[in-house]
Amino acid sequence: MKKNKAMIVCFILPCLIALAAVYLYPVVRTVLMSFFAIDSVTADMSGWTFYGLGNYSRIFNSSTYRLAMWNMLRIWLVGGIFTLSFALLFAVILTSGIRFKKFFRAAIYLPNVISAVALATMWIQYIYNSDYGMLNRILGAFGLKGVKWLGTDMKFWAMLGAFIFGAVGYYMLIFISGIERIPQDLFEAATIDGANKVQQFVKITLPLLKGIIKTNITFWSVHTTAFFLWSKMFSPIGTESTTIVPVIYLYDTVFGSQGNAARDAGAGAAVGVTLAVIIVLIYAVMNGLLRDDDLEF
Amino acid sequence: MAKKEKVVYKEKVNWKKELSLLPGYIIVVVWIGFTAAFLLWIIGASLSTSREIFSGTVLKFESGIHFENYVSAWKSQNVSIFFANSLLYAVVACTGVILISAPAAYVLSRFEFLGNKVMKSGLIVAMSIPSVMIIMPIFSLTTRWNIRGRILLIVLYIFMNVPSTTVYLLNFFATLSKTYEEAAAIDGCPPAKAFWIIMLPLVQPAIVTVTIFNFLGVWNEFFMALIFASSEKMTPVGVGLLQIVNAMKYTGDYGGLFAAVVIVFMPTFLLYIFLSEKIIAGVTGGGIKG
Repeated sequence: MKKNKAMIVCFILPCLIALAAVYLYPVVRTVLMSFFAIDSVTADMSGWTFYGLGNYSRIFNSSTYRLAMWNMLRIWLVGGIFTLSFALLFAVILTSGIRFKKFFRAAIYLPNVISAVALATMWIQYIYNSDYGMLNRILGAFGLKGVKWLGTDMKFWAMLGAFIFGAVGYYMLIFISGIERIPQDLFEAATIDGANKVQQFVKITLPLLKGIIKTNITFWSVHTTAFFLWSKMFSPIGTESTTIVPVIYLYDTVFGSQGNAARDAGAGAAVGVTLAVIIVLIYAVMNGLLRDDDLEF
Repeated sequence: MAKKEKVVYKEKVNWKKELSLLPGYIIVVVWIGFTAAFLLWIIGASLSTSREIFSGTVLKFESGIHFENYVSAWKSQNVSIFFANSLLYAVVACTGVILISAPAAYVLSRFEFLGNKVMKSGLIVAMSIPSVMIIMPIFSLTTRWNIRGRILLIVLYIFMNVPSTTVYLLNFFATLSKTYEEAAAIDGCPPAKAFWIIMLPLVQPAIVTVTIFNFLGVWNEFFMALIFASSEKMTPVGVGLLQIVNAMKYTGDYGGLFAAVVIVFMPTFLLYIFLSEKIIAGVTGGGIKG
């Protein structure tokens, strides 16, 4: 047993150090930072001055931050509806007895595997390009006028569209695994009783997918709070009001942005804590919802 | 026998059934056709001149195939440096994370000790902590201690993948029978040695799956690299590609840009072509972070 003790300690220690170094210590310090006035992120603790909830009231009074939150909300709601609807649609199609199911499934999931930076570059430089872009060519073939997809009016929706395209596959896989767990005899019995495909979907598939839908909404919400890369790619040099999201706001306030040398690590920490609280709330709400009727089948 | 049955079944196409599935086929084929069309165009553009790209004659290759785009992307746009960095980060981080996570997962799943449960929940909580909550203290600490360069990103990539990897491997160690260690102990093999030479090889399939995911994750990582890669010498492909895009205004080399895009996505794309079944099974089976 003594031998085991030494082994346990040796085996667990590196993992413990990793947890403490990149999770425990940074999280505690970030929470502390959000209550202090700190200019530079590298400032020593002795240079911090207690600020109470000042950072929070400052960010919530900042119109840029409110805009960032509003954009995040739009991404969550509009993007969520489209992504999860497409994902569910594809999941239902792929489990309906279609041929080449494995190939289709792999092809739809593909954008999740390739570098998102490369994917975003392809969308920006090709699909949305106003000179030779794919979308304007398609519009032109129908005799329609091209749209400036990357102009101020359309940029947000262009970004969201590209993001949805990349995200659908992941949620589709989760839906597929949920649908495949539903026993086939339920559908067979319904078919014998004369229910058509739509009725089967509404009366059998949807109710039994409640838990999976909940999981997907949770994942989508957490995914949205971390939204950064696509916004950075669509406004690579200077942050723009059309594409700003909270993580971009945090990045700019902590590390500085073009034409703005003022830095505020305290406010940045407050943004981080706000996002973390949102994630905790999402988990709490989702675990409270639908808890009682978790179906066993 | 089973094979023969399958062949017979395949020959019988139930046209009525296929017809009822037609709307489904159309939707899926349109979506995938769009994906295929633009991937094909990107590859075409990477072999064309900037003028051909702008005049919209990309897939005709009127002036021949321009492999020199790849040479210029690889050499003058620094893609070779970015590529080597990403490869180094991914390979070292994938190895390092297994060396830390596998022993920890084994001990956590096999032995009861004080703090076992706390640690398991800690790992699960850590998996859902957003990276914005950790970057600032890590940045200030590493600046003060003057830790930077490639080693910083490698350590970060290892440590940040420890929670999900450990949680994933935990379940696999839990399914192994205890008789293996008992037999080893009777033969006089110390428990630590039994782990490395008996238990670890038994979870090899799980290690392969989780390593694929870690590789994809590190290769495609962007946020940490943007903050912690302080010079071009240590920049991985994601941030490197962003720099190339930003420099486009001055270089105007669109062929080179698309060649860089292809070079960046090709490694994970090829990996996916060979391992898509395993990757897809891993997404839904293991509860890996997406």
